[in-house]
Amino acid sequence: MEIENFSNMQLDAMREVGNIGAGNAATALSVMLARTVDMDVPKAELVSIYELAEYYGDPLKEVSAVFVRSEGEFTCSLIFFQDEEDAQNLVDLLISHQMGGMVLEDIPAEMRDSALTEVGNIILSSFLNAINVLMGGTHSISVPGVAHDMMGAVLEVIASIFGQTGEYALIVDTTLKLADVDKQISGKVVMLPDPGSFEILFGKLQVL
Amino acid sequence: MEKAHHVGMAELIVVSAPEMLMTLGLGSCIGLVLYDQAAKIAGMVHIMLPDSRGAGEKAREKPGKFADTAVPALINAVCSKGALRSRLKAKLAGGSQMFALPGAETDFLAVGSRNAKETINLLKKEGIPLVNSDVGGNKGRTVEFSTVTWMLTVKVLGKGKTEI
Repeated sequence: MEIENFSNMQLDAMREVGNIGAGNAATALSVMLARTVDMDVPKAELVSIYELAEYYGDPLKEVSAVFVRSEGEFTCSLIFFQDEEDAQNLVDLLISHQMGGMVLEDIPAEMRDSALTEVGNIILSSFLNAINVLMGGTHSISVPGVAHDMMGAVLEVIASIFGQTGEYALIVDTTLKLADVDKQISGKVVMLPDPGSFEILFGKLQVL
Repeated sequence: MEKAHHVGMAELIVVSAPEMLMTLGLGSCIGLVLYDQAAKIAGMVHIMLPDSRGAGEKAREKPGKFADTAVPALINAVCSKGALRSRLKAKLAGGSQMFALPGAETDFLAVGSRNAKETINLLKKEGIPLVNSDVGGNKGRTVEFSTVTWMLTVKVLGKGKTEI
């Protein structure tokens, strides 16, 4: 099944999967922080793997990214990433909400990182839960991995998922944005189905 | 300062002195430079994956994508611009593992170390001396090669610059 030959209907179906997953992820984030979370209309796009580094803008921009793998009948990778500044704002907000009374400056870097990984984990697990309901069956989720680095370097992981078998990546993504906060906090949830998983997915969604 | 040519994913660019070569944000990929100081020629390729097996015809259209096609393609490219095969030297950087997920089936996450290993093996097989390299770890790199000093400058976020 060649990614570049996907029909509009198949891409629409992927977008809908993204919509359902991201909706659930937005709710989880909203509950965790007791804030309103806005969500963009999800996209499902075919991106040339050679243009991945610039797809989200400056490849040298520092981002924070949480990565998980989900395995089962349908296998995919999920990434939650944001500008480093947004990530640190998010940690501040989480700590002041969940651990009132702690002085932000006293929180060690490892604990901030651990908080960030956990937020990413909850967002991505919620996304997956919605997919599980949609697809039926259960899909395992890995321990999360976290990176703070140049966006271009982080996104190369997408090229290594799709590169062996083709020239295009299918990227399903949406932006989650916190409303009513002083500092900007937004992040992208990205789903990357394994190239071998599309048939199963489209079969279940009846767009094969 | 000379303009630096940016070598995008799977691209291969050859320049002559005093032009510069660079690649931004290498993660698991490899930035490989072959150069001939006497002929004042250098080429850089941005390798994405170790092995073109299973990629079929498409591997030929983008030889820079896979280590096993990129190394011979870069040798040919620099030599066709006037470099002498026997004078070629190599420097390379990259091959990080950006994410580690304990216990998960994630061969593709370790592709960086396979990229580095495969590229280094191929250079050995071709008999090209590897002067210096900076590979592995879990941080991204930005690399810049000067055809004046013949040094490869490696920048890592939060750790500054090193010249190799």
